[in-house]
Parts: sequence; C-alpha cells; structure tokens
Amino acid sequence: MGTGVKRRTFLKGATVGAGLTLTTGPYHFVRSIAKAAEGDTIKVGVLHSLSGTIAIIEASLHNAELLAIEEINAKGGVMGKKLVPVIEDTQSQVQVFAEKAKKLLLDDKVAAVLGCYTSASRQSVLPIFEQYNGVLLYPTLYEAQECSKNCFYTGAVPNQQLDDFIPWIIKTLGRKKFYMVGSNYIYPKETNREVKALLEKHGGQNVGEEYAPLGHTEFSTIINNISGSGAEVVFSDLVGDSVVAFYKQFKQFGITADDIPICTPITTEQETAAMGPENALGHFTSFNYFQTVDTPENKSFVERYKAKYGKDQVTNAVMEAAYFSTYFLAQAIAKAKSTDPDALIYEGLPGQEFAAPGGPVKIDEKNHHTWLWPRIGKARPDGQFDIVWKADERTRPDPWTKYLYPHKSCDFTDKRVVERLKKSWSQEKDRSGTIDI
Amino acid sequence: MTQALLSQFLIGFSVAAILAISAIGLAVIFGVAGVINMAHGQFIMVGAYTAAVVGQMGGNTFWAIPASFIVVALLGLVVERAVIQWIYNRPLETLLATWGVGIILEVVMKLIFGPQLYYVGSPRVLGGGIRLIGRLPYPYYRLFLIGMAILMLAATFIVLYRTNFGLKVRAVRRNRVISGCLGIDTARIDMLIFMFGSGLAGVAGAVLAPIKSVSTTMGFTYAVNSYMVLVLGGVGNLLGVPTGAGLIGQAETLLAFKYNSVIGELLVFIFIVIAIRVFPRGIFGYYERV
Repeated sequence: MGTGVKRRTFLKGATVGAGLTLTTGPYHFVRSIAKAAEGDTIKVGVLHSLSGTIAIIEASLHNAELLAIEEINAKGGVMGKKLVPVIEDTQSQVQVFAEKAKKLLLDDKVAAVLGCYTSASRQSVLPIFEQYNGVLLYPTLYEAQECSKNCFYTGAVPNQQLDDFIPWIIKTLGRKKFYMVGSNYIYPKETNREVKALLEKHGGQNVGEEYAPLGHTEFSTIINNISGSGAEVVFSDLVGDSVVAFYKQFKQFGITADDIPICTPITTEQETAAMGPENALGHFTSFNYFQTVDTPENKSFVERYKAKYGKDQVTNAVMEAAYFSTYFLAQAIAKAKSTDPDALIYEGLPGQEFAAPGGPVKIDEKNHHTWLWPRIGKARPDGQFDIVWKADERTRPDPWTKYLYPHKSCDFTDKRVVERLKKSWSQEKDRSGTIDI
Repeated sequence: MTQALLSQFLIGFSVAAILAISAIGLAVIFGVAGVINMAHGQFIMVGAYTAAVVGQMGGNTFWAIPASFIVVALLGLVVERAVIQWIYNRPLETLLATWGVGIILEVVMKLIFGPQLYYVGSPRVLGGGIRLIGRLPYPYYRLFLIGMAILMLAATFIVLYRTNFGLKVRAVRRNRVISGCLGIDTARIDMLIFMFGSGLAGVAGAVLAPIKSVSTTMGFTYAVNSYMVLVLGGVGNLLGVPTGAGLIGQAETLLAFKYNSVIGELLVFIFIVIAIRVFPRGIFGYYERV
C-alpha cells in the first residue's frame, strides 16, 4: 500500500495513476488521515497567506487561530493530546492554496485544516478536500450558495447580514431610496441581488446601482451620480483600497453621514483606521461581531489577543470566527473521540456549541453553516463601532436565501444527500448538500 | 442634466490633475534620460509612505511635499548610481532592472511598515469645499490638486527651459555624443534628471495620499495611468503631459457619468489604442531632426 501511494503521487495526472486512484484511493486516505491523532499530538493545518496582497487580513486570522490553539493546549489539549499547528504560507496566490492544501492532507496528514479567506481560495481547495475527504473550517463571511460536505462555514452568509439590516435602514433610519455601489466581482453582485429582493419586500427603492473595477480609487463620478439620484442611503460593498478612497472622497465632497449614511456589510475596524475615523464617522456596518461587543468573553478575548500580538491590534468579525472555529474543531475531536474525517463531519462538528466572544454560536445540524448574532454598528470618533442594534436571538444561517432561492436548500441529513454522499468521490463528484425543495 | 454634466466636467479637471501629477515624474525621466522607469509607481508609493510618516510626526501635506521630494529624490539617486548608470541606452535591460527595483521596494516597504493600509489625512484648511454648480460643493482639496499639477508642470518647465542646467539637459537629449564632446558631463546630467524625476514622483505620492488609499501595492495603478498619459500625450514636449492627462481624465469621468466606471475605463483603453494608431509617438511626439 505504501509504495502504491508513492507511485500514485508520482504518476499524478497520468492515466495509469488515475486508474490506481479509483481502486485504492479512498480507503487508504481515510485510514492515513486518521493517523493524525497517533502519538501525543493532534496535527491541525493552518492555511493562510502570510505574504502578498491579502496578507493584511489573513495574518490576523492566522494569529487568532494560533491564539486559540495555545489556549486549548494550556487547558490540557484535546483528549490529553496537544494540538500542533502545521503552518503554511499561501502567498496570496490561489494555486498555492491548492498545493499547500494537498500537502497538508497527504504529507502532514492533519486532522483538519483551518484556513482560506477569499472565495477564490476556498473554491480552489474544495475539490482537494472533497477528493481526499479532508475537513476545512472556513471563517470568512461570503456570498453563500454553496455547501460542501467537507467544509464548515463559520462566517456570516447574506441572510445573517442583510435580512435584519435592510428593514432596519428602512424603518429605523427612515431611509427608503438606496444607491448601491460595489466592486466589480461576484461577492458584491450576489449581495446586491439579495439587497434588491429585500428592498422589494420591505418597500424600499433602488435608485441606482454601480460597480467600480477592483482597486479603483477615483470616486468623484460615482459620488456625483449619488448626489444627483436623490438617494437617501448608500449601500456599499466595495472592498480593499476602494473602501478607503470612497469614504475619504465622500466626505471631501461635503456629504456627511447625516445627509446620506453609507451602510455596508464589509467595512471593519481595520478599514476605519486606514481611512481615518473622521471619514467613517456616523456610517453603519452590519456584522455579527465588533471589537466593542460587551460580553465578558469578548473583553477577555481582546485582552488576550492584544497581550500576545501588541497593544495597537484590533479584532474583527472574521478573526472572531477563525478563533471560535478552532474551538469548534477541538470540541468536535473530543466529542467524536477520533480525528477520522467522517467522524468529525457527521458526529463531531454538526450541532457544536461554543461561547464565542460575540455570544454563544452553534454549527447548524443540517447545513454546515453557523448560527450567529447579527449586529449593526455605527462608526464613532475613535474608529470603533457603537452597537446600535442587536438581534434578540442568534440567526439561522441560510446558504440558499429564501428570497432568491425559494426552491433550494442545504441539508446533510436529507436522504437524497446521504445517498449521494455514500458513493465514492470518483463515482459522484458532487459533494454538496444542496437539494431542491 | 446639463448642470450635472457641467459639474461632472469640472470634476474631470481634478481627475486630469491627478493623472498629470502622477505622470510628470515619469515624463521627465523617460523624455530626457530615455529610461522607462517601471518602478515609477513604487516611487509614488514611497512618497505616500513618507507623507504617512510625516503625518504621524504631526506634519501635514505641506510638510510632506518637500519631505517626500527629498526622500524619493535620494532614493532615485541610489537607484541611478547602483543600477541605471550601467545600463543606459539598453532599453530592455533598464525596463527589467527598474521592474526588479519596483518589486524590491514593495517588499522592503512591507517589511518596514507591515501589510496594512496606512492613514494619511488632508490638511484642515483644505477640508471644506466651494459651491460652484450642481448639488455638490467642489472640494478645496481637488482645487489644490489642480493647483499642484500646474505648479509641478511650471516648475519642470522652468527647470528645463529657463535654467543653464535645463539647457544642458535639452542639449544632451538632442545629441548626447556632441554634447559630450562640447564638455557637458552627460552622466551627471542623467543622474540629476533621474533624481529630479524621482522627486516629482515622491511629491505625487504625498499629495495623492490624502484622497486615495496608502498601501505597499498602490503603485501599480498609478504606473499604468502614467504610461497611458505618456503614450497618448507624447514625451517630445512638456505639453504632452497636460494634454494626455486632460483627454484621459475628461474622457474617463464623462464616460463613467454617461455609462459607468467599468465601461468608462474600457472605452478609454480602446480610445488610446486608436490614438496610438494615429499618433504613434503620442500627440506631442518627439521626432528626430535629420
């Protein structure tokens, strides 16, 4: 068997190799991945970009995960075994994510991988996790419409950021005319589709929709259009450098948050610091977590994070998710008493609860996404957010939102899905839990 | 509608000014020393970070302008002495070498400042705006940028056309060998003009930082825009920069207003490709006199 693997890797891509995969692959890998827990340690993959363009945010996720691992080990580890992080730098390049994911699963034989940030990186590694039956915990908010057997999504999906936010803007702020501004790629476009559906339902009005190329920093025209459109509120899903330039120029054209507030599901504490708090002042962000969340768990989390990584560090929602994902994983291994991927996927992780900094969170029993606490923050003079609204109870994640996809759902307990997943990867390449209802 | 269009037209001037400010340093180096400086965007980035450091020490943009000019001019000196001086007149090599310099600068800045975005505020006196036409006030800072563009062009004009040094520069550009024979130290002229052009890139970084974002990867966009300005405007004459910047700036804003930013950018690129077909050396191209 051992030589079979070597030959297989060696012949990767060749038809002979592919034939061997089909016959000996799945069984062998399930067994070898289960070896992650042999000895006194359990290996956990940490897969983030520590260099390149998105290292800005990914390094903070990496830090949050290492903090959690350190804490878990300090409390005695999992089943008496220490968690050992296997760290890979993915260099902000999509193809490197795929290579390193393969290495973590096949060479290091980790129990599970904490990692990825952008949707592109997640999509590049998912086929690998599905083929070799690994477990990925993915912490970012994302556009949803996906649910893979091998991935657990601990960030917010659109229904958790928008379903309360849009009606709140219309009713509490009393602003009905929306102007949508986004970066020109999938996340903003999908998010805005959801926003438009919600506007229709709650009596809002879409007075304009515009997309700027990624990295665009000249917003004078868009701001002129906004002011001419009679918009009462701007809904922004701009990302990266564009966020900072847009808020700065918005203020320079003399528009304040009292005239037209910018409402967004993206702008975090990191961006308000980069644009200067005076430019963010009074604008609104919808997130499940802010650094200012007033719980004892969060106070202690922020303190511990700053103690480890420096006083001027700020925490944000994706980091919080990266942090509690690590605890989810540790608890799941303890519950399943195994690092076997199927044991984690079917027994360990679903239904897992944790008292996270932002409040008690839970992995949904059916759809691999996470119950979170929607909140709305208003940027204040020091760049932090005042939480002006919070959901009464945590919100169920809905990867196929009911407004856009009333006939789709994700349910890993559904018979049809169970049947589909029983087949091996080579027979049935669809590892998703999506079903028609 | 006409009012909105008119205010859009006025905004176009500030966009053109931003393009001119970022392109002028490149025009000087390319037009005189003949070096295609692929690290131009990174020089602007270093200027912006200098402004961020000046800001953290309590200074505003007015302090940052001379500071960035000096810092980036010195950087230009180092690059010229260490790399460029050995490979003048070998366009392909200078292209690759300066590209490498750009990558090194990005990595070094990331090591020093970390990967996060940096904050640079605008001076308080330039905070408000003046009501001209349409609903929105015209921001003072954009008026200031138009002023800066004119000032930087004027300064370059004076240096090149009203000083003894400028006379030598133009002589070297016209005929390097004869100038050398007549006793002009051409290597020194190249070095000084490279420093001057780099300094201008630094100033661009300092004045653009307050309305844009500051990160180690910001340089690329500015470099692309600057090349477009030069390709369209030409480098034979200093007028090429404002002409190229004005045409692209206005086209981009008006098209973005009429359609949207994505289509605006696309149409501008198509427009430039056609322009190159008509004016292969740019509108103010430099033609050898035979």
